[in-house]
Amino acid sequence: MSYKCSRCKRDVELDEYGGVRCPYCGHRVLLKERSRDIKEVNVN
Amino acid sequence: MSDQYDVTFIEQDERSAKFLVRGITPAFANGIRRAMIADVPTLSVDTVRVIENSSVMFDEQIALRLGLIPLTTPDDYRPEETVTLAIDVEGPATAYSGDLVSSDAKVQPAEEHVPIIDLKEGQRLELEADAELGYGKDHAKHQGGVAVGYRHLQRVELGDERGEFAEDDPEIIRGVIEDAGASETSRAAGDGGELVETASFDNDLGNRYPDRNVSVEDVPNAFVFDVETDGSMSVDDLVLSAVESLRTRADELEDAVQL
Repeated sequence: MSYKCSRCKRDVELDEYGGVRCPYCGHRVLLKERSRDIKEVNVN
Repeated sequence: MSDQYDVTFIEQDERSAKFLVRGITPAFANGIRRAMIADVPTLSVDTVRVIENSSVMFDEQIALRLGLIPLTTPDDYRPEETVTLAIDVEGPATAYSGDLVSSDAKVQPAEEHVPIIDLKEGQRLELEADAELGYGKDHAKHQGGVAVGYRHLQRVELGDERGEFAEDDPEIIRGVIEDAGASETSRAAGDGGELVETASFDNDLGNRYPDRNVSVEDVPNAFVFDVETDGSMSVDDLVLSAVESLRTRADELEDAVQL
């Protein structure tokens, strides 16, 4: 899972022990990045 | 009903036409109209693979907009064939239908300037779209004829001279008239008369014949069609394939029903 810190804009990897917190600046708001997968949509 | 119909073109363009058909019943005229809207297949985007979409709209909304872009449809396409269109636009810019790159040169967006989405600095739209044949009865994106209608042909006969103090009410009519009193030659010919669009005299017969009494009547079994396509095919192709689909279904019915 890759997230982005909303304050310092750096990429953050979350592990199961660290809790939701940016390891660089300590900010607790993280944004989930869009997956790089190709998404298929139907038109209807 | 005869096998031959009398068709006269009043206006003809690549994408729109106005024509008079004589000798068809109202039911048949409506059948042609409905076939033009619902039973002529056109290509439209059906599946979209989004590679990158950092625009402000959801993938699904963009897919819907892509579906509604009319694509030119060559007549040799089969229902299972697909055409792939690709687009890659980076902001700041507006992504237009003209930015779509098609895998088949004959299948192109009918209009180049349909906006898909406005992209700001740093936003990007990259995707592939598969277009398929479909029918207007299944989805509006597959409608080939978009402004299709018909009216009765109206016949205008001249009466006697209007009195000096006759009321000056406008005589509004719309469509196409068959003008029996237009010229000596058409009156002498005995049949019909000159075909005149009512727009040419501002839809008011009082403008055309200020001091004559006139009578207006529907001509039985004569219809003036007004047809416009979305650009996926020419009006000729649209009307012909609509009539063809009507014929095919009539044949199917004849085969299915044993009398």
